[in-house]
Amino acid sequence: MNRDNLILIFRFLLLLFLQAFLLNNINFFGFINPNLYLLFIIVYRLDGNPTLLIVLGFVMGLLLDLLTQGSGGQTIAALTISFLRPYIIRFSFGVNYDVPMGMIKGSLLTQRLLYLSLMVVIHNLVLCSVIYFSFDNTITILKNTLFTSLFTFILIYISLGLFKNK
Amino acid sequence: MRQLINALLKYKNTLLYLGLLIISLIFLNHRSFYHQSIFSRTGLALSSKFNRTVQNVSSYLDLAYTNEKLIAENVKLKALELMHFTEQTPKDRTIDSFPFKVLGARIIKNSYNLARNYLIIDQGYTDGIETEMGVISSDGVVGIVNQVTAEFSSVISILHRDLKINAGFKKNGAYGSLSWQGKHPKRMKLNDVSTLNPVMVGDTIVTGGMSDYFPYGIPIGKVFSFQKPELEGYYDIDIELFSNLTQKDFVYILKNIKKDQLNQLKNESR
Repeated sequence: MNRDNLILIFRFLLLLFLQAFLLNNINFFGFINPNLYLLFIIVYRLDGNPTLLIVLGFVMGLLLDLLTQGSGGQTIAALTISFLRPYIIRFSFGVNYDVPMGMIKGSLLTQRLLYLSLMVVIHNLVLCSVIYFSFDNTITILKNTLFTSLFTFILIYISLGLFKNK
Repeated sequence: MRQLINALLKYKNTLLYLGLLIISLIFLNHRSFYHQSIFSRTGLALSSKFNRTVQNVSSYLDLAYTNEKLIAENVKLKALELMHFTEQTPKDRTIDSFPFKVLGARIIKNSYNLARNYLIIDQGYTDGIETEMGVISSDGVVGIVNQVTAEFSSVISILHRDLKINAGFKKNGAYGSLSWQGKHPKRMKLNDVSTLNPVMVGDTIVTGGMSDYFPYGIPIGKVFSFQKPELEGYYDIDIELFSNLTQKDFVYILKNIKKDQLNQLKNESR
């Protein structure tokens, strides 16, 4: 249990700094920055305490906003996706999910892909909506959500593969 | 009690989420001017709708009194009109070139007990209201339009500690800036009047024509007391307002038609 906590803290800090200082400066095609820190929320233990995850998600988003001079969109997006995660899991893996070690083993590929893409798309949708915060920019919000989600999804999928090999 | 605690425990994640969401919205509100303005505009729209309903009821009950006041004001205007016809001095014949258009509005929310007071009126940009228009009442200055939605506007009251209005003496035109100290809704202070000018208790204070918001000569109040410094310098003058801002129903909004020209001139001379 202690070792798990250490890994959790290490993963939290690593993803936070990676996101704040490297990934937020990519500006692929001028506006696409992958939100890899979502990996922290995605690979959080499925049987872990959901209350703790909400607090961690909030702190993660808040620190990210403070480090990158963001307006507060990451805070709300990370908080919301942490809160919604149990519902998304139930939706994608079925009612009686029983995979303590997360999604790495023992679930269908389609279920995993559904879970991943739902997490990524909802997160980016919330993020873009908060940042633009206006009905006049609906097209921009959807466009940004689409491209950022695609990029984030690819990056997260690759990272998951790396973790699995280790 | 136990059921209450059980219910709280059952929904603890949702409650925690909502609590943290409120914190992040406050954070967002503090960090981004864009979101701040959207929040305050939404708040204005909501609160004005609510206040209008309340005001509708209370203004219906006040109809008799309002009628009396309107008649009184009509009498005053009639007198002015007659004066205008009889005198015909060049100074009074400026109505054609008068650069302000007058619009009427009803106050639906009025505050006067805070340090920074605002009013809400029932006219918005669909009625031609814009920000930075002057607002007066039948007997004095009320404030300046601050924010506008489709149907409502909020007005910075002159009872606002950060607002300064150009005002001067009716008798000789000596001017200074009028500000509110935040204590009594009928007392204001006139600063920056040089001691070169004579001042008497009871002198009338009117708006100065230096600002774009108000035309020259709207009566504001009279000198209540003043202190002269020992050496040369500026007076410390207390003003008593003519109008009682704690009981106002109708206001007039002054639209400065020639504001574009004024702004252009200001930009060019800069």
